[in-house]
Amino acid sequence: MNISSPNTTAQTSKLVDENIGFVRRIWRGRIWYGTEWYITVIGGLILLGVTMMTILAPVLAPYDPNEFIGAPFTPPGRGQQALVSRTGENPVPSASEITDEVVGVQRNQNGVNLAKELNYEYERYQNQEELLTALENGEVDLIFINQELVPEVLGAYPNLGVVDEKLGRSYRLGTDNLGRDISSRIVWGARTILGVALASALLSSFVGIPLGLISGFAGGKVDRTLSLVMDSIYSFPGLLLAIALAAMLGPGLLNVAVAISVIYIPTFYRVVRGQVLSIKESLYVDAARSLGAKSSNILRRYIFPNVIPSVVVVFSLNIADAIITAAGLAFIGLGLPPDIPDWGYDLSKGHSFLVAGQWWMITFPGIMITLVAAGFSLFGEGLSEILNPRLVK
Amino acid sequence: MSPGLRRYIFVRILLTIPMVLILVTVVFFVLRVIPGDPAVAILREGASEEQLASFRAAAGLDQPLHIQYFRYISGVVRLDFGEAMKRSVPVMQEIRTFFPATVELAIYSMLITASVGIFFGAYAAHNRKSAADYGIRISSIILYSLPIFWLGLMLQMIFGAQLGWLPVSGRLSPGMTPGPEETITGLYTIDAILNRNWVLFKDAILHLILPSITLGLVLAGIFTRLTRANMLDVLEQDYITAGRARGIWERVLVYRHGLRNAFIPIVTLLGLQVALLLAGAILTETTFSWPGLGRLVVQRIYDRDFATLQGAIIFFALIVAGVSLIVDILYGFLDPRIRY
Repeated sequence: MNISSPNTTAQTSKLVDENIGFVRRIWRGRIWYGTEWYITVIGGLILLGVTMMTILAPVLAPYDPNEFIGAPFTPPGRGQQALVSRTGENPVPSASEITDEVVGVQRNQNGVNLAKELNYEYERYQNQEELLTALENGEVDLIFINQELVPEVLGAYPNLGVVDEKLGRSYRLGTDNLGRDISSRIVWGARTILGVALASALLSSFVGIPLGLISGFAGGKVDRTLSLVMDSIYSFPGLLLAIALAAMLGPGLLNVAVAISVIYIPTFYRVVRGQVLSIKESLYVDAARSLGAKSSNILRRYIFPNVIPSVVVVFSLNIADAIITAAGLAFIGLGLPPDIPDWGYDLSKGHSFLVAGQWWMITFPGIMITLVAAGFSLFGEGLSEILNPRLVK
Repeated sequence: MSPGLRRYIFVRILLTIPMVLILVTVVFFVLRVIPGDPAVAILREGASEEQLASFRAAAGLDQPLHIQYFRYISGVVRLDFGEAMKRSVPVMQEIRTFFPATVELAIYSMLITASVGIFFGAYAAHNRKSAADYGIRISSIILYSLPIFWLGLMLQMIFGAQLGWLPVSGRLSPGMTPGPEETITGLYTIDAILNRNWVLFKDAILHLILPSITLGLVLAGIFTRLTRANMLDVLEQDYITAGRARGIWERVLVYRHGLRNAFIPIVTLLGLQVALLLAGAILTETTFSWPGLGRLVVQRIYDRDFATLQGAIIFFALIVAGVSLIVDILYGFLDPRIRY
């Protein structure tokens, strides 16, 4: 019973027949599917966003996720800016005018990378004082200093000026303990986590679905044995099993996916088996059988297609779970090799620097994990109520 | 005790045995069949052949696999998980040291899960399809999509590091650890009450707040949904309609008559959350440096001590099986319709 659904069939058909555009069709989905539709759409939009992110990662990520590009622990939105000396009334030159110049960089800071990347020659100096003096004396033509210090420095040295913003750089989400750009790591990390979750869900469905089909269809001893094994694994804290497997298999994308997939095989098995048991009793299966269809044909052409809707739902919910489990494994230190950008690994790194107040290292990866997992959950939940309306509570 | 009940309990216990056996077998073979020699893994690369051989002999790894397996199974029956590799301590003793911390964390988390879950679940069921219902449902989905350790990290950062209200890690402040004469249950809060040591009690509670909220809230996400579904079942029953027809005040009807009847399945479900609770405890303990079983597991992975790892995992399995057995038997007592 749905209060918001139209009362008469005439009304429904009128709404269905209406020639409406794609966007409005999505907006009106509620009419056919109830309010669950919105949950599905919200989830779907999140998934669409993440998928775009994985596809467009090279375009979206400003830097290489593994490259040490800046000073460590740069807060979000902060970065380095380029300063030049301006003598007299001359306006500050623009970036294009100052090619082929010498850049002064600080020793322990990553200005060297910046200078190399911009094809400048560079001189190293011990500290910022020397850097500023060198700039004033004309030894170098350009220096990089931290963005937050710029106003202070400009106040103390009135004949310096900031060049074109483009020459300096700021990091939208800050940098981590090694000076890697967090926004780039987030963008590339989406590929990793989706890859692991998708691979593990595929693996567990490849094993779980056939087992469920056979068990439900064959019945008898096969069914009882398989059910007992699957129920035992199902009742066990999955993360622990994944931990044991991941610890033994060692780091690696496929290894983590395998470790996670084992704990979700029973989920697919149980759902498929349950569905097969009820479909097996339906009239059209009886009809097919009495017409002389082979068992394998019945399973393939009559039962399997009807299992698909539930499998789709479980698949989506399973990916959500796998994402959280994968992040958990990485957090414990059982994830991927360190050269693969991974949100869970970034969180475990951020854990060490939390008390010092580097909040940006843990906040952003965590938000992303939650968002993606919630996206798959919402999508699956909404879908399940749309596909199995009798279960709607 | 009726014969039906006796039969039910008997069958239920019988069913638990193969379940545990399967789990022990799976864990045993997972830790062995997978490529990689434990002796090499523990002694690291570069150990001499004699060292490896003597280590294998000491740990019984030179025996054929099936003999190792039966030896291990017969140990598990006596709750003997063998000796820890590297240090000569029985695994069971290690487990006994770390277990009370996990129990304490689990109890307080359960309290939070139950109170949050039952309240919001019942409210959502009562106001079905209202804005509050959708709000509660979406927030419960988001709650259980939260990586448990991330919620912990954020709470640590906000309430521990930034505001400085609560301790960030551990069970007690340094120097507060009670002596052996004060240890009765190993649960610091309970021991403190029994010894009337209120300073210790306050310290233990302060350390418990963040970890138990972390674990409790994430589980509450799932539990809210379960409560809501169960309450909806109950609210569709005839006696609720009958009560409504008699003009019983709606709130009394829902929260007294309805909730009371939904309580049995709800408590059962709470018992069945133990697997999730323990899985969550591993991550919570890692986040908060909480010296419990989960931390033992993680530490022994770093040490590559597979004997302790295997023992701890099987101990987890025994607890899960034990709790679900107890819950099912209690359920059988309370509801005479549940019989084999």
